[in-house]
Amino acid sequence: MAVSRATHFTPAVRFLGSCYKQRHLAPHLSVGWRAISGGEYKRPGQTQDNTPIWKKFDFDKGVEGIRKHFTLLKNEFLGRWTGPEGKPLIEHILEQTRVIWEFRGPESLEQWTVSSDQEIGGRSEAYLKLGRNNTTCLMYGTLCSAPPRDGETRYSGYCTMRSKPPMGSFDSKKHHDWSSFNTLHLRIRGDGRPWMINVGAETYFSHQKDDMYSYFLYTRGGPYWQDVKIPFSKFFLSSRGRIQDDQHPLWLDKVNTIGITLGDKADGPFQLEIDFVAVCNDRAHTEEFAYEVYKRNPEV
Amino acid sequence: MNGARCLLRLQSVGFLAPSVRAAVQHAALLQPATALSQITVRNTCGQALRRFHGSPGCYKSQPVPTDPGEEHEDRVKKDKSLITHDDLFERVAREAKTKATFNRVVDVFSKRDIRRRGHVEFIYAALKKMPEFGVERDLTVYNKLLDVFPKEVFVPRNFIQRMFNHYPRQQECGVHLLEQMENYGIMPNVDSKVLIVQIFGDKSHPMRKYQRIMYWFPKFKHANPFPVPVQLPEDPVDLARLSLNRIANDLDAKVTVYQMPCTDISESGEITFPHVVGIQSPDQMELLAKHNPNRPVFVEGPFPLWLRKICVYYYILRADPLPPEEKVEEPYDPERCFDFPLQLDLDLDRDMGDDDSFDVEDVDEGPVFAMCMTSQGDQATLNQWISGLQETNPILGRVPTLFRLEAGPRELQGVADPGPGYREEGEEEVETDIVVEEEHQRSQGVKQ
Repeated sequence: MAVSRATHFTPAVRFLGSCYKQRHLAPHLSVGWRAISGGEYKRPGQTQDNTPIWKKFDFDKGVEGIRKHFTLLKNEFLGRWTGPEGKPLIEHILEQTRVIWEFRGPESLEQWTVSSDQEIGGRSEAYLKLGRNNTTCLMYGTLCSAPPRDGETRYSGYCTMRSKPPMGSFDSKKHHDWSSFNTLHLRIRGDGRPWMINVGAETYFSHQKDDMYSYFLYTRGGPYWQDVKIPFSKFFLSSRGRIQDDQHPLWLDKVNTIGITLGDKADGPFQLEIDFVAVCNDRAHTEEFAYEVYKRNPEV
Repeated sequence: MNGARCLLRLQSVGFLAPSVRAAVQHAALLQPATALSQITVRNTCGQALRRFHGSPGCYKSQPVPTDPGEEHEDRVKKDKSLITHDDLFERVAREAKTKATFNRVVDVFSKRDIRRRGHVEFIYAALKKMPEFGVERDLTVYNKLLDVFPKEVFVPRNFIQRMFNHYPRQQECGVHLLEQMENYGIMPNVDSKVLIVQIFGDKSHPMRKYQRIMYWFPKFKHANPFPVPVQLPEDPVDLARLSLNRIANDLDAKVTVYQMPCTDISESGEITFPHVVGIQSPDQMELLAKHNPNRPVFVEGPFPLWLRKICVYYYILRADPLPPEEKVEEPYDPERCFDFPLQLDLDLDRDMGDDDSFDVEDVDEGPVFAMCMTSQGDQATLNQWISGLQETNPILGRVPTLFRLEAGPRELQGVADPGPGYREEGEEEVETDIVVEEEHQRSQGVKQ
């Protein structure tokens, strides 16, 4: 019985392995199809890129990609021998704080995407650069809340900065697992404007893809740094800019992105300097969720 | 039994307005005389219950007479086939854009036709015009606009109407109105609720919107740990005092007004002195006293600070961070605080689970010695601030002061390490000697 099961087992593994290779290795060993065909998202107002396909091949880029992805793959395999997520087990169990993003060089800005309402036709501008001595990240620009004159957009005026979702080898999905922490910790210096923190978590159904968990980030202004601790229990669920009626706590085991958004309708220049973004375990905080979950809101 | 039916309906609606209640009581008294009671209710609610077979023509009543000029205008308007309600506002806006005129327009519209024909378009137009008239933050005006909706017509009467979207355009309009209130941060009150229940019924979309606003607004009303007053002070000195106290983050910090704004008329002409308001805490004074006099201090700015929609600018006095070789680790003075030990030297068996510090390098920035706000950020004005600071911090007389000012607002950043030839655009870097400074101060004093 055991022998037959074993023989049954091996081809299946082989088949799965071949599937894995085909699915993940094939598109990346060559250049991705979308990159070749110029099928990237075309922003409104951009001219279409008509460069022929053969001019877009770059041998060095391919080699670079192979090196990067195989290094990641190697780390993933070898990291498991050290412990979960490549860290020793004792550290995994006992760590109380974890710095997720710190800005200590130009490569740290690569992990963030800056966008503004120019995508919907607005006129705000936002830029990201390294601050003083290359040790902080400075987001600056101007906010303009005049809605685009397209006849249907009613509100405009936002600037946002969002972290890129973590990727494993060969661009497989990875998530931040913050389930052993309960508080978000930021060290910032702003100019008195209120901001908003948006956490995007992995969802199962596609209609939940716009779900975000948000809370406010108030800045004091002035020349001093400000340590902000926001418990994850305070984050409320919103989708496409609307707070949802049935709330539930943010599940921290699969966090994809975190974003910082400005949209306070005060037109003018803004700036926010970030030193680091970290998560920590605040043992004095026992609240599980700050909003009512036991009945529909508003009650039917 | 029309009156009884109407009474039942009103009761089911859950009315709260005393006027309606009085009307219904009145109707109940006159229940045998059905026709009379119906008229009563019709007059109070502003909208009759339509009979099934009745044509709307039967209910057409003469518009309530308004003052003759407006009536004439109405007649002119009736000649046109397309009525734009923007037009009504435009005509009034020519005289004055105030709350009174806005209310008058709404009254004119409500009195013109008992069935309020075109009220959805009118409300959309009114919502658009609200910021122009300066009433976008006025709850009573919003309630007045809600009152334009005819009552009772849009309330679903049976389960089929309730199931489907009953009068969707009107409900959308109501939600739009509430959304505009939400955007301006106005919380509706009980009057709005009564109106919404009377207009749309108790499970309609506008009612849901109202309930959502009433649930979430109070939750986040006091979420800001650094609250800004709704009414900011008009006086620039008071505003500077408020903002300096906000950014100093120290209850011991003392605000000093170095110069009040004043206008002086002398033989050379009219001179306006800007206000200079500064803040300094005892800790900052201590830091400044310990500052090495060979190293310069910098006056930097202007940096922006936003208080709601207002942006103010401030200037800071700071120094470069100390190079690592000059840093001295100062031991804690054990006698500084007897109640509370500042340093504990216990050998506890602490492991990683007790370590709550973050694994990051500290950002090394120079100390900030003082902050000030002024309406005129030129060097002469800021010199006055420095000379005023000198009275409490005598070391400033021996320290070279450099001005790094920019014409426009600039980003809040620490001092980048300037190389020997480092100079930013538009930066005036002037080294002032103490003697020059003293003379400058004296001349300023004479001018005053």
